[in-house]
Amino acid sequence: MIINYIYRILWFVGLVLLQVLILNNIHLAGYATPFLYTYFILKFPSSVSRNELLLWAFFLGLIIDVFSNTPGINASATVLMAFVRPPLLTLFTPRDSFDNIVPSFKTIGNFSFIKYLLICLLIHHGALLTIEFFSFADIGSLILRIASSTLLTLSCILAFEGVKK
Amino acid sequence: MRNLLNFLIKYNYWFVFLLLEIASLVMLFRFNNYQQSVYFTSANAISGKVYEISGGIMSYFYLKSANETLLERNTILERQLTFLRNALKDRNVDSLEINRLAELSSNQYKTIPAHVINNSLNLVNNYLTLDKGKSDGILPEMGVIGEEGVVGIVYMASEHYSVVISVLNSKSNISCKIKNSDYFGYLKWEHGDSRYAYLKDLPRHAEFNLGDTIITSGYSTVFPEGVMVGTVDDMADSNDGLSYLLKVKLATNFGKISNVRVITDVQRIEQEELELKTKAQ
Repeated sequence: MIINYIYRILWFVGLVLLQVLILNNIHLAGYATPFLYTYFILKFPSSVSRNELLLWAFFLGLIIDVFSNTPGINASATVLMAFVRPPLLTLFTPRDSFDNIVPSFKTIGNFSFIKYLLICLLIHHGALLTIEFFSFADIGSLILRIASSTLLTLSCILAFEGVKK
Repeated sequence: MRNLLNFLIKYNYWFVFLLLEIASLVMLFRFNNYQQSVYFTSANAISGKVYEISGGIMSYFYLKSANETLLERNTILERQLTFLRNALKDRNVDSLEINRLAELSSNQYKTIPAHVINNSLNLVNNYLTLDKGKSDGILPEMGVIGEEGVVGIVYMASEHYSVVISVLNSKSNISCKIKNSDYFGYLKWEHGDSRYAYLKDLPRHAEFNLGDTIITSGYSTVFPEGVMVGTVDDMADSNDGLSYLLKVKLATNFGKISNVRVITDVQRIEQEELELKTKAQ
């Protein structure tokens, strides 16, 4: 139990540092930025209570915000993603699986896992970048940014999963 | 009643969700004036009109004191002018003395060297963090210049650090003019390329060539006159067709900025005090 929490906090700190020190400075072609810190929320086991997940998401987003001078933007997007995660997870989980699973290729299947990641990331990145732009004046570049960032984060997460396996 | 309670308990995560979202949005709006102004557009249209009308009426009451201050300032300037003329008259030949006089007048500005410790280029609102703060004499709204030209304006200062709104920020707004002609406009960055910004509101009859130098105008106390901003790269008409829109190649390379100087105006505090006093009267 305690070990679990220590692991989780190590992951938390590691992902925040990775995001703030390295990934926030990546802008592929001026558009795509990977937001890999969302991986922390995506990999929670399905048994976690909704409130706990929301609180983790809030503090994760808040700390990213504090570092990148954007109070509230990352926090609100991450909380939104944590809010829609449980229904999405039940949608993609096979009926006959165990009660408590950690989402991955093995537990919910290759295709379902990628769909789950893609939808969660689209919601998060969509909210994040829309709030940052805060107007639809330049909707073309906004959509391009959301799509390219989502694909980049998705490929980062898939690479991460591949290495862990 | 019991059903209601059960309902509330079952769906309590909704309240947690809304609470957290509201908390983050409050933070967002309180920090970020741009979002705030968009969010409160309709309210601002009303309150802005009210303030405009009341300010228009009230300004008549201050005309007398404003006049007096202007008169005072006028006499001071006149006295200085005669003093300087007399000083110049017998030192016409000795250029060293004239140089010394010019130096004296620029003593109004002092600079504090600082290092950039955090920097971003590709957001819509970019900020820099400096390793000097209040304890080194840095206060909000001081100008920041790099080795090549203008960098930004101090936004907040803590004891040992300060956050700077860089030119690459939608909130940045610096008054500039074309060197050797006194036509002025203001410098705005449209998100995208970090090497270019735009000079807006330049009158249509202004004369300039591509490649001309853009410098600060010195109309505010933030930057002294003549700090390098960039060069004219391209020109176009503004959307309303009433002014020019110049594409400016910024002199500062924001990608590799490390040493900057913060400009403190020694007389600024005095000037602001005076302005405050005038307002209070």
